[in-house]
Amino acid sequence: MSDYVVEMTGIVKSFGEVQAVKNGYFTLKKGEIHSLIGENGAGKSTMMKLLYGMYGFDDGVVKVNGEELTSITPKLAIEKGIGMVHQEFMLVNELTVLENIILGFEPKKGMTIDFDTARKNVNHYIDQYGMDIQIGKRINQISVGEAQRVEIIKILTRGANTIILDEPTAVLTPQETRRLFEILENLRRDGKSIVFISHKLNEVMEISDRISVMRQGEYIGTVDKKDTNPAELAKMMIGREVFLNIEKKKAKAGEVVLKVDNLWTSGEKEISKIHGVDLEVRAGEIVGIAGIDGNGQSEFIEAITGLRQVEKGKVYLGGQDITNLSPRKIRDAGLTHIPEDRNTRGLNRTMSIMDNLIAVQVDAKPFSKGMLLDTGAALEHSKELAEKFDIRPRDPQMSTESLSGGNAQKVVVAREVSIGGKLLVASQPTRGVDIGAIESIRSILQDVKEEGLGVLLVSADLEEILSLSDRIVVMYEGKISGRMDADEANEDNLGLLMMGGQDTSHAGVQEGGRDHD
Amino acid sequence: MPVCRKEEGIMTNAWKAIRKVLLTVVLALVIGALFILLISENPIDAYVALFQGAFDGKLSFGTTLASFTPLLLTSTAFAIAAKAGAFNVGVEGEVFLGGIVAAYIGVNWTFLPAPMLYVACFLGAMAVGAAWAFIPGFLKSYYNVNEVCVTILMNSVALYITSYLVSGPMSAGVANAQSDPVTVNLYQFLKPSSANVGLFIAIAAVVFIIWMLKKTTFGYKIRTVGTNPMHAEYVGINPRAIFIKSMMISGALGGMAGCIEVLGVHGYFLNNFATGLGSNGMLAALIVKSDVVLAPFMAFFLAILKSGAMGMQQSTGVPKSIVDTITAVFIIIATMELLFQFNGKRKKKKKDKAEA
Amino acid sequence: MQFSNIINASLIYATFRASTPIIYAALCAAITQQANILNIGTEGIMLVGAFTAVTVSYLTGSWVLAILISMLAGMAIALIMAVGHIKYQAEICAIGMGINMFAIAITKYLLNSILGKSGSFSDPKIVGIPKVHIPFLDNVPVLGDIFNNWAITEWFVIILVIVITFIFYKTVWGLRLRAVGRFEMAAQTAGINVNAMKYQAIMISGLIGGLAGAHLSLGYSNLFTENMTNNRGFMGVAAMYFGNAHPVFTAIGCLIFGFADSVGARVQAYGVPSQFVLLMPYVITVAVLAISMASKKAAEKKRKSSLTT
Repeated sequence: MSDYVVEMTGIVKSFGEVQAVKNGYFTLKKGEIHSLIGENGAGKSTMMKLLYGMYGFDDGVVKVNGEELTSITPKLAIEKGIGMVHQEFMLVNELTVLENIILGFEPKKGMTIDFDTARKNVNHYIDQYGMDIQIGKRINQISVGEAQRVEIIKILTRGANTIILDEPTAVLTPQETRRLFEILENLRRDGKSIVFISHKLNEVMEISDRISVMRQGEYIGTVDKKDTNPAELAKMMIGREVFLNIEKKKAKAGEVVLKVDNLWTSGEKEISKIHGVDLEVRAGEIVGIAGIDGNGQSEFIEAITGLRQVEKGKVYLGGQDITNLSPRKIRDAGLTHIPEDRNTRGLNRTMSIMDNLIAVQVDAKPFSKGMLLDTGAALEHSKELAEKFDIRPRDPQMSTESLSGGNAQKVVVAREVSIGGKLLVASQPTRGVDIGAIESIRSILQDVKEEGLGVLLVSADLEEILSLSDRIVVMYEGKISGRMDADEANEDNLGLLMMGGQDTSHAGVQEGGRDHD
Repeated sequence: MPVCRKEEGIMTNAWKAIRKVLLTVVLALVIGALFILLISENPIDAYVALFQGAFDGKLSFGTTLASFTPLLLTSTAFAIAAKAGAFNVGVEGEVFLGGIVAAYIGVNWTFLPAPMLYVACFLGAMAVGAAWAFIPGFLKSYYNVNEVCVTILMNSVALYITSYLVSGPMSAGVANAQSDPVTVNLYQFLKPSSANVGLFIAIAAVVFIIWMLKKTTFGYKIRTVGTNPMHAEYVGINPRAIFIKSMMISGALGGMAGCIEVLGVHGYFLNNFATGLGSNGMLAALIVKSDVVLAPFMAFFLAILKSGAMGMQQSTGVPKSIVDTITAVFIIIATMELLFQFNGKRKKKKKDKAEA
Repeated sequence: MQFSNIINASLIYATFRASTPIIYAALCAAITQQANILNIGTEGIMLVGAFTAVTVSYLTGSWVLAILISMLAGMAIALIMAVGHIKYQAEICAIGMGINMFAIAITKYLLNSILGKSGSFSDPKIVGIPKVHIPFLDNVPVLGDIFNNWAITEWFVIILVIVITFIFYKTVWGLRLRAVGRFEMAAQTAGINVNAMKYQAIMISGLIGGLAGAHLSLGYSNLFTENMTNNRGFMGVAAMYFGNAHPVFTAIGCLIFGFADSVGARVQAYGVPSQFVLLMPYVITVAVLAISMASKKAAEKKRKSSLTT
């Protein structure tokens, strides 16, 4: 009998022509918290999804409790006591918390589902770990933090002994993260083994027993926490030393380019409706909007870019009223926009790099000649941008379908930044891209500011907000919960505002939100 | 990251597409042969008779060209709507309405000089076809009403409207439900078949559509909206307007087909004349995944099957309905994306594949 | 035109009678819709069912056997669609339309070659689905008109609506089906075999679609004609949209279409051209579909981000 509850050796996994994992290695001891770290695209999530049976692996050996498993399905993984909290929560919005928790493992009474037994059973786990979860609500009525706890409870009720958490803190405030860590400590005390996927080194140093590093699909090494330090881990992750902290250039703020006056909109969830937001962005400054995902940032950005109806209030761009104008007219007024989701909004993944680079200006000269599309001019322009923004591959006629996250994002950034205008809206501009691209995108944003455009930056990454912004506003439940200059801000005071300034013990408990009309 | 070179990619893709179409044809014919064997007839004899029926002699070949003409337009009509993301089953209704309008103008607007009257017939037919297609286009883009349902149901409505008109107000008063003969006709060749110069009008229209889709900014917008409307909206293209316009172009092509049938083939509006024209055009387009360049070839192939069917029925004991069965099998096979992907290269469509 | 001759007690039965085939079709579409599969092939499945039922009844003289075999035939056709869509990733609208074309063609072909007829087939040897005669109601004035002499399958459709509602919302299978339809990955990570669920949904849908056809050819009428479903399958799909795939609301949608149909049939007696009567159900279906989707959209607008769909 092996010492390990999980042993993965020589793992290989390809998606089409992209090899996501090559020679992957990972072991997990009983009762440990083992962090798996690496950059975006390093293959850490893929490794764990293979363990959970989300995809089949091409080669390698996976052993769970000493038993070799040749093909894994989620069902088998669950039977073997493995549970996974995915980065994107696997919860059905339209079903209740209870229904989601019992899905697949429903207690039965004759032909029907025995909801009474289910409720009793689930409440037992909730009490045991002291979590607050409202099991009668539908998923789209609860907050992100609560949804994450639902995921953990779901896994526990299925009898998991090995718990995988894929970037669980990405959606949490620092305070909520601390609560999550308490839960993880409790679980470890109960003898559960935990895999913690992350790229935040301070968190990894806080919670782990052991740490494994992956880079570009390959296993780099495993270290004990007590024998290592963040600098060493960073070097293992990146393969070289990196300093992400770009020197912030002092803002030479000019006149107001964006003025938002008492804005109200609809929202994807109750807590993401915008309730009367005021905001100004001046030329030559970066204004950062911090906040936990889902507190209205997306809705706010959509409203000012013409992608969502403004219900009340006004938006002015350079003095011109752009409230509820079409995206075309808003762009003509001088707004450019790096959207939060490059796959659905930012890019047309079925088209070439060139087609994507001219998408905004297809009706403008020189790309449009009468009714005709001037492919010559488009090609020339695209080659220039590919060179300037280091888009790889350089050939603009390649499809964007197989571009990596970083290069795909560079296409979006190149297109928007090359247009110029008055205001650049950058929403989660470095989400899911590699570290090299993060560096270059952040310095591009600085350049844009230097050129005298206003920049409105939305990011769930506090480090990004702190390192780029001149002024910071925090959005909570569709309102601005605080504003400050960048030099007054730190992780703690922002974190508190990100939870509406509430006491941490009530984090994540949200009542349905108020309807304004 | 290993990426295959672009030229190679295009070559292999084109080859794959053609290979797939060929394999689909063969498999459909084999399944058709099984159905023929089922009724104890010889499939080889039947197929030989089928192709003889399509090409042997002036009449046969002319008939093939005559049935190709509307299919060319309806298949392109379906394809252009599909490029914008619409599944327009309503082309058939547009053919009916285009036909009735052409018949009305062709019979009644004799105050126009002949060349103008031709133009009026075509423009009227295309305008009404476009207007008819506007309805499902509008409902889909503004209210997300499923366009397959709406267009299918509207086909019935169009059929009944025209049927009412030619048996009532526009009736010629003869035994069949039909209109008075139109005063302008499209020149027929390869007589006694009904092949007519409408064929060349149709070819010109289709070439124009292909050019528009590939070379103009409007074509670019259609392709963008059809593949990613969310992206289109974000870059400042109005996806609703483009969607509706594509539907209307589709409808106009359907109307044009109706006009050619009335002016070129029948000379009057014959009740029910368009039954199957829309659906067969749709089949042709679906088989080649709405590729506007390949769709005409598929339309021609289907036209061969259609026009050869009668000859086959006469010279063998195989009912001509076998042809519809084969084309239906055809389409079922053709829609199966992964059927002819060999070597186990079934790529998983994971959008996060490069970022996982 | 006398209003009371159009709107009277027997209209209630006429409405229900006209609705029943559509209700079956709508249930056929609703089951797959819960798994997020739009069953455009409902029409074709139903047509194959109708043909099979008449043929089997004619050959064996047993309506029970006819129903059972037509259900299996419906399932077989649905299986083609399932394999094409799930295994070979056929686009559902495309393969659905393929199934519909195939159904029209194959029934026509077999009608020509096996039964030696073209256009339609009726024969005294075709045994229809029996009607339930309730002697007690013979002398009861209004209720007798409304409830007496229903075909067995007309009663059964009511049971079926209740049973399917129960399955969707109270059983394990229903919960899993709805989870698959709304968020496939969530179901997959819960250890549910998503493809198996989809196959099951489409196969059961095929059984019901076959039954819909059998009822149409042996219960509603007693013959087979080419393309006799006459877009009822699509009306069923429209009703499914109207009712959001909830069996009860879906059935209510069908009753609206049935009402339009039966009122039309009566109005015809007063000199309204037959074509207008025939096209009314289609116009009403499109209108109802548009209105119900528009109101749904209005409700969603509060939430959804995009102007597109």
